[in-house]
Amino acid sequence: MALRETKDLRGNVAGKNPWLVGVAAWVFPGAGHFLQGRWVRGLIIGGVICGMFAVGLLFGGHLFGLGGKEVGVSKLLQLPPMIANLGTGLLYLICWASGSGFSDSAEYAKLATFEYGNTFLLVAGLLNYLAMLDAFDISVGRKP
Amino acid sequence: MLLFAAFVSAIFSVVARDTVKERVFYGLKVFAEFVGIGIALAWILYFLPF
Repeated sequence: MALRETKDLRGNVAGKNPWLVGVAAWVFPGAGHFLQGRWVRGLIIGGVICGMFAVGLLFGGHLFGLGGKEVGVSKLLQLPPMIANLGTGLLYLICWASGSGFSDSAEYAKLATFEYGNTFLLVAGLLNYLAMLDAFDISVGRKP
Repeated sequence: MLLFAAFVSAIFSVVARDTVKERVFYGLKVFAEFVGIGIALAWILYFLPF
């Protein structure tokens, strides 16, 4: 209850829809901070994560999913990187719906930047989880 | 590596610090650490025979 009465540095009462803020931050990078009126922070987060995602795809990296050719335990091994990729929210879902970015054909794998691209895509998702938690924490009053 | 370090240090600085001055210094510090440790590891691995 005390958390709900905490005020942030701008004098706003914290605790307004923290779950909505968290979900918005996941769906579109930076949106959680936009909802709180933290435009610069949201712009930096959104720009960096979308930039990392775009660079990852340009480098020939691929997104992980459970719809590949793997079977048994190999399929389970796709789960952790898929969770990391899923952190980019709508960006991942758009690629999944359009079927782009999921190709792991030899043509992509032979690119010198293939693993760099994968790393950029994975880290973009993980950083968005971090940003999502930041937005949530601000919303519940744990952070200024 | 520089691009990666720039992206990650930008997010770390925004999330971990509150004032602009703190963010700039922290971001530069994290960026330098990424690049410095990356170069150091590269040289160490270069000399390892296995």
